Amino acid sequence: MEGRAERIRVWDPALRLFHWLLAALVIANWLLGQFGPNVMTLHFWLGYAILALLAFRLVWGFIGPEPARFTSFLRGPSAILSYLGGIARREPSNWPGHTPLGALSVVAMLAVLLVQVGTGLISDPLDYVNIGPLADQVGSATARKAVGWHRLGGNIILLLVLLHVGVILFYRLWKNEDLVRPMITGWKWVRRR
Amino acid sequence: MRHMLCAATLAALTLPAIAHSQSAEDVLAARQGYMKLIGLNTGVLSGMARGNIDYDEDRAAAAAANLEALVRYDAPGLFVPETSSDDLANSGALPAIWDNPEDFGAKFAALGDAVAGSTDAVRGGQGNVGAALQQIGGACKDCHDDYRKPE
Repeated sequence: MEGRAERIRVWDPALRLFHWLLAALVIANWLLGQFGPNVMTLHFWLGYAILALLAFRLVWGFIGPEPARFTSFLRGPSAILSYLGGIARREPSNWPGHTPLGALSVVAMLAVLLVQVGTGLISDPLDYVNIGPLADQVGSATARKAVGWHRLGGNIILLLVLLHVGVILFYRLWKNEDLVRPMITGWKWVRRR
Repeated sequence: MRHMLCAATLAALTLPAIAHSQSAEDVLAARQGYMKLIGLNTGVLSGMARGNIDYDEDRAAAAAANLEALVRYDAPGLFVPETSSDDLANSGALPAIWDNPEDFGAKFAALGDAVAGSTDAVRGGQGNVGAALQQIGGACKDCHDDYRKPE
């Protein structure tokens, strides 16, 4: 291995706050969507808050600190395959930020959540109460189809969240690397490469 | 009285199967018309609650009274077998309706409860429409979530 691991601050405070707020709001809004009141006012407001968080993350991906920038963690297929090649090794990645593989997960979650907000905004479930604020900007057929897309999106988000938690457990138990604490404190053991 | 008995007997004979003179398509058209009537009148209340339609007490009460009349209609005849979204291309009624008839009936009854009293409830000002509408729309959603096929 190239050099020793050192503990550096990878995740800035704004990014950490973004991460935990997004996690809390997405879980809360998923539960509200599935089990919440049939007049979905709170679900709508949390959706707007999630949109604001996503907008922040997109901006932060261009002007934020190095590990937050898309250009620093989005890598090509060869880097992804190379990282995948060593993923089964029982040792910490000590990666200074999002791994090439993890970057795909970041992009997938941001994209699916953005689409989910979009389909929610244009949904018309024909109940005359829970009508998306932009439903009248699209055709009524599209607004009705959006209800189905929004439901499908909820299932995809559930899968992505379960995958996210599962991979964190894999790193913790198999690779003996704690990815949760760095997202709380910002400090992470990394190895320069 | 005799007319009512006749009607009841007729209803008993024609349910749940489709009467000979009717096709599944006829039942579907009637059901969709019934839903459109509910939607048309709920839409009046929705428009007033949102301020897209000027509040008119008599018009609001008439829409609510229509809804009260519509939910009293004996709807099981509109949900005969072989009219689900699996059977007919333009049907939005999920087969789950026929798999869970008790729950479906309970959700339909909940619409009746939500609509009950709305004719009086929507009188007295535009601000009163929203609360009545939220009850009605909530009942629509609860049933659509499980039994209406998303388009």
